[in-house]
Formats: sequence, structure tokens, C-alpha cells
Amino acid sequence: MEFNPCMKHKVVRGAAREFAEGELGPIAAEIDHQARFPWEAIEKMGALGYFGLQAPRRMGGAGLDSISYAITIEEIARVSAGVALCVTVHNSVCLYPLLNYGDKEQIARLAEDLITGRRIGAFCLTEANAGSDAGAVETTATAVEDGYLINGTKIFVTNGGVCGLAHIFAKTDPPDPRSAAVLMVEKERPGFSVGEIEDLSGMRANPVSSLFLEDCLVPRENMLGKPGQGLKIGLAALDVGRLGVAAQALGIAQAALEAGTRYAKERQQFNKPIASFQTIQNYLADMATQTDAARLLLYRACAQKDAGKPFATEASMAKLYCSAAAREVANLAVQIHGGCGYSREYDVERYYRDAKVTEIYEGTSEVQRMVIARGVLSRPS
Amino acid sequence: MNQERAIWVVGDYRNYFQNRVTLQLLAKAGELAAKMDGTVCAVVMGHGVEEWVGEYQAHGAQRIYVMDHPLLSEYLPGLFARALESLARQRRPEIILIGATSFGKELAARAASRLGTGLTADCVDLYLDQEGRFVQVAPAYGGNLLAEIVFPRHRPQMATVRPGAFAEMPHDASARAEIIRLDPPAGLSGDGVRLVSCRRLGYQGEDLENAKVVICGGRGLGSRKKFKNLHELARLLGGEVGATRPVVHADWAEEERLVGQAGKHIKPRLLFSLGVSGAIQHTAGIADPEFTIAVNKNPLAVMMQKADVAIKADAHQVALALIRELKARGSS
Amino acid sequence: MRIVVFVKQVPAVSELPWDAKTGQLRREAAEGMMDPAAKRALEAALRLKDAHGAQVIVISMGPPSAEETLREAVAMGADRGFLLCDPRLAGADTLATSYTLARAVGALSPDFDLILLGCHSADSETGQVGPHLAEELGLPAAAYVEKMALKGRKLTVERVSDGWLETLEMDLPALLTVTARAFRPRPVPMTGLEQAFGQGEVFILSAADLRADPEHVGWAGSAGRIIKIYAPAAQKKGELIQGTPKACVRELMARFGDRLGGLLAKDLSGEEQA
Repeated sequence: MEFNPCMKHKVVRGAAREFAEGELGPIAAEIDHQARFPWEAIEKMGALGYFGLQAPRRMGGAGLDSISYAITIEEIARVSAGVALCVTVHNSVCLYPLLNYGDKEQIARLAEDLITGRRIGAFCLTEANAGSDAGAVETTATAVEDGYLINGTKIFVTNGGVCGLAHIFAKTDPPDPRSAAVLMVEKERPGFSVGEIEDLSGMRANPVSSLFLEDCLVPRENMLGKPGQGLKIGLAALDVGRLGVAAQALGIAQAALEAGTRYAKERQQFNKPIASFQTIQNYLADMATQTDAARLLLYRACAQKDAGKPFATEASMAKLYCSAAAREVANLAVQIHGGCGYSREYDVERYYRDAKVTEIYEGTSEVQRMVIARGVLSRPS
Repeated sequence: MNQERAIWVVGDYRNYFQNRVTLQLLAKAGELAAKMDGTVCAVVMGHGVEEWVGEYQAHGAQRIYVMDHPLLSEYLPGLFARALESLARQRRPEIILIGATSFGKELAARAASRLGTGLTADCVDLYLDQEGRFVQVAPAYGGNLLAEIVFPRHRPQMATVRPGAFAEMPHDASARAEIIRLDPPAGLSGDGVRLVSCRRLGYQGEDLENAKVVICGGRGLGSRKKFKNLHELARLLGGEVGATRPVVHADWAEEERLVGQAGKHIKPRLLFSLGVSGAIQHTAGIADPEFTIAVNKNPLAVMMQKADVAIKADAHQVALALIRELKARGSS
Repeated sequence: MRIVVFVKQVPAVSELPWDAKTGQLRREAAEGMMDPAAKRALEAALRLKDAHGAQVIVISMGPPSAEETLREAVAMGADRGFLLCDPRLAGADTLATSYTLARAVGALSPDFDLILLGCHSADSETGQVGPHLAEELGLPAAAYVEKMALKGRKLTVERVSDGWLETLEMDLPALLTVTARAFRPRPVPMTGLEQAFGQGEVFILSAADLRADPEHVGWAGSAGRIIKIYAPAAQKKGELIQGTPKACVRELMARFGDRLGGLLAKDLSGEEQA
């Protein structure tokens, strides 16, 4: 068993950290406060391969293993969770399913724009009446002579306001849940439109929005997989997506741990640094332990995937634990900061807001427990 | 035959008014020479250098080697290193001291290689220990520490010394030195570098180096925008703005404002140090201010420990409060 | 065209913890990073490669962990890296270092056209290795370079030395050290990382591989001997003021206003002068 990062993973971390601190650090607070999508930084990230982190190198991707992928997302999230959200959703639930379930023609036609970041990807499952219950989607894809006519409304779409390609979950034979399919819709298709950007509590740099599909016609060649494969593709994508969201949560926890530690050493009360008080030490001990445990769970799940083994249960465990750790570590970091921690002047306030949603999206903690329990119960006893 | 122990100081006169390090070294060399029964020698290379011969004579040189020749009219380190090498091979000095200016450091390194000897960079002190060894005190390991270094075998012992480390002696017009005029070595040529043009730049921090009041800003100020307030503070105080390396690397300030071992060497009477932790690369560029006021959230920062007045608060907020206070007091 | 860039791994923090008992720095306490000035030298080389085509070889002397720096350099666009890693090379001063680096150039890329280094490394800002190495190899050289242009075999550079802007010209082969203000380095592309960890990109060499004279390398080949090392005495018993920024400034003025006024040659009392 090997617990030290290998040289490649150290270099990957160094590269991602230097970029994140240099390019995103100066704007991280501003893009959150202004709820602004940082196109200028996103374009640079596209040129550097951040939008094709695990795509094959022959296609212009970075070809990285899953641990490298997690480390990269973690380092971006450590600086700006909102930007990390954009990158991980694009990579794991848009590009990954295209590369794994797309046919040659689809990959040739659509992958390059995604890998280079010219098109930002989105994944649209959630609707007003379908969240954790993925089978309940009401969007329809009606077969017509020259393709499918899509109708429906998707909500809380990450990257919604900026996406160039959206994977739309729709039923070809409603209400049969087994007829769910994935249709890839380019933003310029008539009938595709973007709703207002949501005014969210956290992740404000990401333009989360609704998407409207009104008689939106896509050719048959835009269906990913076959009719009826939608749920299978969606669930497989979400397994990978969970690794990304876990990494994002881990990045937030790491940032909060660092901020809390720094402040505890600097802040003086009763003529000594508050880090000298046992209560604060207890907080820091818990924060460090949870962050480390989260990291080990996540890397284990990634290693499992890289080894070609089933990793869904492990990914859910990592997602469940990393998100809880992020929320708790950010909470304690705010507590250590006292009144300052509740002020927008300090980053921990942002970490606190950003952390919470990691327990909600890409499968709530409740859903993760369902998945984990299913895995536990199916083990031979 | 040559029993004399000579300490050489190599003249660097291009920026005489900004940088009187040669004179400072002559003073220190005099102190060392007295203890080791040695001779203080100045070396002047160039073309049309008579002015400096007189200057060094008046500042403690007992002997001056003058190599004044058109071949040496361009101030090029590769060229001067060859001239210095030939002179040192002939006359075998015990010690060669050179000011740690950009030119001096380049010249010294090249001459040391040619002479096959060691060189200590950026010394902040020099002394002879009880065993008579020549001890060079220089920053080590990223400047966090000071190391005392000796050369057991290699001669001459070479060092570059940071400007401001020592005080020069008063000008003594009546002093007389033995002046030895030499031709450049036969066939002297440079390293193949040709000087196409050169000109003195405008503001390059001379004002900073000579300022009586310096306001130094560090990363603790928080942002480029916040750093800019220091210019207003400097205007109100009649001072100049300096910066630490992290600030320069983050592009909050121009490289010309870098204060430290590799940047400007300042000698203010009054120093305001705002949000500066005080790594020695930075503090090595500051020669004993009379009064230092440091502002930092961390009272344990080195700069706070060095200060006469340490203000434990946010550096940016204090800068703003100080600007308001000075304006209220009519210092506009 | 062949370009050799020397890079160095330095601690990623500016103040390393120091063990007062042993006098050693706790280097293991910090991750390493590519020295920022060396990274700019690499950037300068890569710009020449982009513009004129070149093979860029990166060489570092250091502990095994310095391989990370070489891999990073390859990810940025260098063609090959060599790590000179041998206990016998440890403890080298700038004299022994430049001898070793000169041997490395001779062994690894004798037909080089240009050698580039950062002019001051972040962990020991001596600025001596470049000029030493120029003499070891007998090359035309310039330190503190900020701009360069290549025309055929003629290299024109601009540099600032002690407040003088100089334009210098030299023929290849030559050696330059670059300052930290020019050649802002490109970020490491994620797309370069996998390849940088492939086979045949980075090689580890010992002193024997360089056929270096053991008497001239490492501690044995160094001129200087450290007889004492210590943290500089910083303490000066000053006054501490704390409180809100405004209160701090008030107190400063109340207690030290006269002193400041004297130093500034200004009346800071705020009262109209008679």
C-alpha cells in the first residue's frame, strides 16, 4: 500500500496550483461577489487542456489518470470552487459520456470543441419534478422524420448560461421511465434557450440557469447511445461526476483548513495567538483529520477507477464524506474567524457558502447513502 | 620575494554619486590591513580615470594600480575581468574586495573563475578572527541565516560586499598614495561581447536609494490596488516607495522598487514597513534606519521585532488612517 | 539550434524552519518548486524554440526530488532533462557548481549554441553561477538580460546593469542570465504532463558519468568553508501599539509625533505656525 504521492501527482498539483493561484486567485472573491463567469480565465484554461483533462492525448486531451484529475479539480476548487464546478461538470458529465458512449462520427464532430474549451459542456437531468428520482423526467424527445423534437424545461443547470453543448435527458416514449435517452444539443439549435441565471447562495461564479427546449429539433445522430440507454449513461456519468464533486469539496476543505490555521496563528486575544487555546486546537485537529480522511477516500476511489475496477460505491463514499467534511471544515474555519468569518472581506465566508451545495448536487448525501447501502448489502456475507 | 599582504579594492565608479561602495570598502580594507600588517590597494581600470585615482587616494588607498587605456573605455565585465586577472596573477593580492553592484558581481564572478578561486557574494561584514583568518559574513540558505565563511586554501580570497555595509572615511585631500600606472596585458580583448549602445535610465530607484524616508510595502498589504496607496503616503511624507520581492513578483510594484539583497540598497533615516514579514533578502538591503515603524497583523514578524514602533494591525488600514491623519495635520 | 537551460529546485516557501540545535534548515518541511528566475530562463529558451525551432535541454543539479522540476520543464516544452544527482556533488559553492555544470555541458551537449540561466536564484541570490560558467566554458556572456533577438548567429540583447540600459551583441555560442522581470513564464499545460512522465525524457547522472574530477566537485571542490551559521539577531526592544487602525495612528502621533517631525523635518503638530 502506497500513501505518498508519486512524482507525477506532485507535478500535476504544482502545475494546477500555480495556475489557480496566479490566474484565479486575484479574481476568486470578485467573481463570487459579482456572480461573474470569468471568460478570460476560462479561455486560458481551454488552451492549457483543463477542458480535456482525461481525454486521450491523440485527441488533444491531457490524458490524465483519475487521481491527477481529482488533484487538478481540488487545486482549482481550493482557489475558486465556482470555476472548479465548471471544469468538473464539463469534464466528467459532458465530455466523459460523449467519449465513452458516443460513436466515431459523434466524437469526431463534437469532442474537439469540448476538449479545447471552445464549447463548455452541460448535463441536464434535473427538472421541477425530477431530481433524485431521475426516472421522473418530463422532457420529451419525439421521433420525427429528420430527428427528434425536444420539449421541456431543465432547471439548475450548471454552466447553463455559458454552455455550448448540453446533454438533455428526455423520454422518447413517455411516461415509460425505460425510454429515457440522452440528446446532445448545441446551443445554436433553434428552440434552445437559456433562462435567467439563478441567484444562488454559493458557487456564484458559475452561471447556473434553466434551459428551455421548445420544439427543438436535433438530428438522429445527436442521440448518445440508443433510446432507452439514457439512465444507464446518466448513472455512469454521475459515478465519475461524484469523483469530481468530491474533489471540489476537498479543495474547499483544504482552503478552509489553511485559512483557519493561518488566522489562528495571527489573531491575538488575551495577549496570545488564539492558536494557543485548546478549543481552537481541537477545531484545527478535527479540520485536519477530516480533510485528510476525505482525501484518502477520494484517492482510493480514483485508484479503483484507474485500475478498471468497479468504483461506484467508493465514489459515493468519497462524495458523501468529502462534501460533509467541506461543510464542517468551512464551518469551523468561520468559527475560528469569529465576526470576521461572517464578513465578505474574508474568504472563509465564501468557502462556507460554496461548501453546502456539495452535499446537494450530483446526488444528495441521502442518495449517496442509498448507493453505498446498495453496495454494502450486495456484498457476499 | 613578495611577502606583502595586500588587500585590493576594485574601483566601480560608473554610478559614483549613487554608489560609493568603493570608498566604503577602502575604509574597511584599511581596518583589516592595520590588523594584518597589509597594504590597502585600489585598482582603477578604464579610460580617463584620473578623477577616481584622486578620489581613492583621498579615501584611504595606500597604493593605486591604474590601468588607463582606450582598450578599457567600455565598461564591460568580461573585459575588466581579464585585465584584473592579469594584474592579480602578477601582484598576488591576499584579498580582493568588490562592491556588490550589478557590475561588481558580474566582474567578481568572472575574475574569480579566471583565477580559480572562491568568491563569497553579498557580504554584510568582514573581519579577521583570532587565528588571523579572513572571515566573510554573508547571507545563506535563502537569506534566512548568516554564514561565516573562510577560504582555507584558495587565494586570493574574493568577496563582493553589499553597498552600505560599511561607512566611508572622510575625504582627506592631503593623503598620498603610491600610484602605479600599468598598461593592459598584451593582446587584451574582451569575451566577444560588443557594446552597441548604452544610456543611463531615468528613474531607476536612485531616489529610493538616497531617500531619507522610505515607505516599504509587503504582501501583507493585500492587493495591488491597496499597495498603490503607498504612493500617496510617500507624497505626504516626502519619501519614496519600496517593495519586497513577493510584491514585485505579483506585479504590484516595478522591479526598480525592489528593496533587498538583489534589489535596491536603502539607507533611510525613517522607515515605514507595511505588511512586510522581514526575510533577510529584504532586510539585507536596508542599512540601519534611525527609526523604523512596522505595521503587521503578525506581531512575531521579523520586521515587527526589528522596529522601534511595531503597530499590530492591518497594514492597509493603517496606511489609510495615516494618510487621513497627515492630511488633517496639514501635511499635504 | 541547441539551447541548454540550467534550472534549480528551491523550497516553495520563503522562510524555512530552522533547527537551531543542528544549524540545518529543515528542507523536508517544504515542497520544492522550480526556481522562478530559472523558470524565466526556460521561458526565454522556449520562446526561441517557438520562433526559430530549437532543441531545449534542461539540466539541474540537486537531490532526487529535483527530477520534478525537470519533468515540469519538459511539460512546458523542453525536449529533455538531465539531473546531476550524486552525494559527491552536495555542498558545492558557486565555484564547484560552475565546474560541475561545465562538465555537464561538455558531456551532454557539447555542440550547444546558447546557455541560459536565471540571474538570481530565490534561495541564494548570489548571481555568480552564470558568470562563473561563462568563464569555465570561455563564452561571451551577459547577465541581467531582459530582451533578446536572434539573427542568424548574431544575438542582440538588452540588459540593465546598475541603472544603465545596455544593448550588447555577441555571436553564438553564448551564455545569458535573465532577470525575473522579463520572460514571464507560460503556465504548465495540463496537456504536457503525461508526456513529461514518459520514458526517455529525463535522465539521472552521477559525478562519474560526467567524468568530473572528484577534487573539483561538491564540498571537496568548494573554496569556502562555513565556520559558523546563525539566525541574524533581529531583536530591538521596540514599542508595540495595537488597536483599531485609527487609534494606532493617533497613538503613534501622540507618542512619537515629535520624533517623526524631526526626522521628516516637518511640523506634524497640526497647529498653525506662529
